[in-house]
Order: sequence, then C-alpha cells, then structure tokens
Amino acid sequence: MSGLGSWAARRLLLGGAQTVAVVVLVFALTEALPGDAAVALAGDQPDPARIAAIREAMDLDRPAYERLADWAAGLLHADFGTSLASGRPVTSYISGAFGPTLLLATLTVALLVPIGVGLGVLAARFEGRFVDRLVSAVTLGVYAVPEFAFGVLLVTVFALRLDWLPPTAVGYGTDLLGHPAALVLPVLVLLSRPVCSLSRLVRAGMIDALASPYVAQARRYGIAGARVRYAHALPNAVAPAAQQLARTVDWLLCGVIVVEALFVIPGLGTVLMNAVAERDVPVVQGLAVVFGVITVVLNLGADVVAHRFAPRAEVAA
Amino acid sequence: MRSHRGGLPFGRFALGAVLVCVPLVLALCGPLLVGGPGPRATSFTLGDGHWLGTDFVGRDVWRQVLLGGRPVVVVALTATALAYLVALPLGLISALTHRTWLEETLMRPLDVLLAVPSLLMILLVASVFSPGTTGLALLVALVNIPDAARIVRAAAADVASRPAVEALRMQGESWWRIAVGHVGRSILRPLAADAGIRLTGVLYLVATAAFLGIGVAPDAADWAVMVDRNRTGLFVQPWAVAVPALLIVALTMGCNLLFDAMLRTERDAVPDIVRDIGRDVMKEPRP
Repeated sequence: MSGLGSWAARRLLLGGAQTVAVVVLVFALTEALPGDAAVALAGDQPDPARIAAIREAMDLDRPAYERLADWAAGLLHADFGTSLASGRPVTSYISGAFGPTLLLATLTVALLVPIGVGLGVLAARFEGRFVDRLVSAVTLGVYAVPEFAFGVLLVTVFALRLDWLPPTAVGYGTDLLGHPAALVLPVLVLLSRPVCSLSRLVRAGMIDALASPYVAQARRYGIAGARVRYAHALPNAVAPAAQQLARTVDWLLCGVIVVEALFVIPGLGTVLMNAVAERDVPVVQGLAVVFGVITVVLNLGADVVAHRFAPRAEVAA
Repeated sequence: MRSHRGGLPFGRFALGAVLVCVPLVLALCGPLLVGGPGPRATSFTLGDGHWLGTDFVGRDVWRQVLLGGRPVVVVALTATALAYLVALPLGLISALTHRTWLEETLMRPLDVLLAVPSLLMILLVASVFSPGTTGLALLVALVNIPDAARIVRAAAADVASRPAVEALRMQGESWWRIAVGHVGRSILRPLAADAGIRLTGVLYLVATAAFLGIGVAPDAADWAVMVDRNRTGLFVQPWAVAVPALLIVALTMGCNLLFDAMLRTERDAVPDIVRDIGRDVMKEPRP
C-alpha cells in the first residue's frame, strides 16, 4: 500500500494523460479522413472555391504535427479555432450555448443527489420488503431505457393528452429560467437514468454497511437508528456513489444531447449535433475537447472524494 | 449480503420475460410477416386501412413497426459480440502474462480511452465518416472494448491466482491449455453476467445513435428513426411515435430485468460495484 501522496500523484498523472489523449484523439480523427480532408469535408458542395476555403481555414497544407501543436497551444489560450460553416470563432458557439446546458446540468445534479441517495437509503431501510422491491424493480427497469423513448412518451402523456406542460422549449430561446414549465420534462428525462444507478449503488452500499460489525457495535451502544444510518453507515455507502456520480456525467452528456434534440433547447448538444450534420470539424473538435476535459476532471474529483470518505476502499490507481 | 429476497427474482424474471417477448418477437419475425409496400398515402393520417395510421412520408406505420426492430436488435447483438471478440484475447493475455510491460501496454491505453464519453466518441467519428449500419456496429463495439477488456482481465486474474492454475503450470501444461482450457472456461459465468449488462447498454447506445441519425438512412425502417422522424406529426398522429417508443422501452427495460433476475445467483461472481458502475475507471482486480 503506498501513501496518499503517491496515490494522488499517480491519479493526477492519469488525469493528465487522459486530457492529452482526449486532445490528440479528437485531432487524430480529422487526420483519419480518407483521401483529401478538404474534399471530404466539403461534402455536398464540392466546388473548388469551397475546397480551397476549407484547406485555407484548416491549414491543411501544413504537416499534421505542426497543426496539432498550434491547435493545442490555442486550446491553452481558450482559442478553439473558427467554424468552417460560418467563419465565427468556435468560442462564440460555446459561450452562446453554454447557458441552457449548464442550467439543465445544474438542475439535474441538484435534484439527482437528494433523490438518488434518498431512494437508496429508503430501499435499504426496508430491505426485502415491498418498498424495497418496488424501488429496486423500477430503478432496474428505467435504468436501461434510452432517454429519447422515455422522453417522447412523457411528451405524449403530459403535453399531448393532459396538456399540463409545453411539449418543447421552442420559442423560449435561451431564457429557460423564465419558463420553468418548459424545464420540467427535460430535467425529468435527464434524471431518469442517473437516479436509478445512484440509488441502486447507495442501496447496495447501505445494506453492506448496515450489516457490518461496526454498525452492530454502534447499535449495541444504543445509538439511535437514524443516527446510525445517516452518521455511520451512509458515509461508507457514499464513497462508491461519489464515483458513480462522476460516471453519470458521461450519461448526463449523452442525455443532454438527446434531451436538447428532443425538446429543441439551444444548448451545447444542439450546437454539437448541428456541427456534426454540417461536418463543421473545428466546432465538433472544440466541443469534444470541452466535454472530454469536463469528464476527466470530474472523474478525478470523484476519485479524490471517494478516497477521502473511505480510504481503504478499492480506489486504486 | 443478507438474502431474504423471497419470490422477487421470479417476479422480475416473469416481468422481464413478458416485456422482452413482444418487441423481440416483432423484431425477429416481423420482417417475415410484411407484405409488399402499399401505395403511399397522405402523411400522418389515421384509419383508411392503415391500422396504426401513416408516417411522415405516408407509409403504413404497422409495416414500418414490423420491419424496424430487426436493425436495432441485430446491430446490438453484433456490436456486443464484436466487443468481446477483441476484449477476450486482450484481457486474457494481460491477466496471464508475467511481463508487466506487456500488461501495461495492453491495458493503459484502454484506461485513457475510457475517459471519452461513449456517445461523444460515436458523434466524433460520425462527423467525419458518415458510418452505415456496419459502421455503427463497429463504433459501438469499439467504445465497449475498454470496459469489457477490463472485466475479462479482472475475472481472469482472479482465476489465474488460484492453486489449480499453479498446479497446471507446474505440470508443464501449455499456455493455450491453461488460458483457453482452464481460465477461459472458469470465467464464462461472470462473463455471461457482464454480457447481459453490456447488451442492455449496447441496445441503449444503438437506439440513441439511430435516434440522432447516426448510421441510419433518414427514412430507414428502424424504431428509433421512426420516433425521430415522426415527431413532427406527434399532435396529429401520435401512434407513429408512441408505438416504436413503447417497443424500445419494453425491449431495454425487459432486457435489464430479465438479465438481472437470471444472474442473481452470479452476484458473488461479479462484485456489485463492477455491475453497477460498469464504466468505472481504474478498478484493479482484488489481490
């Protein structure tokens, strides 16, 4: 067993390697284009002027390693290049669409933690009884359902049949906070999968912790049941859950792309999908780097949190 | 872990089986039942000989439903099989080798790959290549390889540290006999558990990618594509969206319930955490 310092150093090193790998991977994918990249990217409009413009914009005449170095150096100064489709800097795309996505993500995470932990603790408390079976079966089932199918059914029921909520966010622009009704369904859909995984994990952790000798000892001392559950057992159940929370960022990201497409919310996911459709490589690259780096950083943070909560748990690096 | 779960696995098993049955039968047998394409009617109408109405280009929705399950199921099964085809040798070699450098060379790059969210990876490739159905299967398999390889390795390393393997080694058995004959056979059960969970995840990815228009033609007969394309007529003709969406929900939900109930006895073989986190980076095998 090595010390905390050594563990942290190795974990940071891996995080750094992952960041570099994300940047190189994102760049390498454009290099992997078959034949002439400019011709391939011109796609449906292969007129020579456009091909020349793309070649010019992406500096395709220069060797790949030079462009990679330039691009990576630009990333350090928050310079993501310029869009092929509009000529606007990629940064303006990102800053323009950041608000709605951040709002969705913040709301989801803020609701996810209490609901996920609450359901997990509830199921663990009534282990084997009806409440537990209901919660476990529902979370297990919903866990696997793609957001778009779930979302479209919710729209059919709540917007179409019952007419309680707006079906999409069309017409509200980026000012979603002013129209909370339009946020209900998107956040509900975004929550569906992470809540299930988090609560299942908290349940499993709580059941293990409640069956452990130290909880039995605390009970023998006559400590109140609620205090045993929340002050003694929960912290040990939270360690794996903290890591899971960061993993769900992966899902949240998938979810955000789908939910923004489904509810027509002008966020980063919509920008990404438009850029993919237009083969606007600099925009795709920029967004991929942003998303990739966020994932790496959050995973790093979660492992550190887990290490703090339960140092003996298997958080090996 | 205490185990007073009563009749729970059976209940879930039955529920999962029922849920999976309908979409699976439709997906596999549907294409055999359809007639030729009838004449195109008006978009988004109900009745008029069309049991579930017509879709966005005036095709019969019931016919599209019958045809649309097969791509989802077939691509998901292919992608899962492909992922294991690469992950099995990778994991087995790195678990059974005594050369640390070989293990590190095989496994470390995968740790790094795990950092990229799977759908993002698929979108990135789609933005430059426009993959077809085969491309989508390959892509989904690719993003599943790192995690599958890590689970194969963890399971194999566990078996490889047992006395039986030492004994085989001392008897001078060949590497192949030990790796394939003994270790490979011993890890089949935990791998079956993982395969079930992976298939559910793959179904999710395949359907979501198709919904976002990756690897499919814009008018393809595919449940996910139907949901996407018929959304514009949701208010006029909701069946064209609701039926394929319900089928996808039943398929994925049923799959997960069914596999969980089937593999409940495997709980000890695969630690809960591996099953539930699925993609947790840097999980080392227990010593």
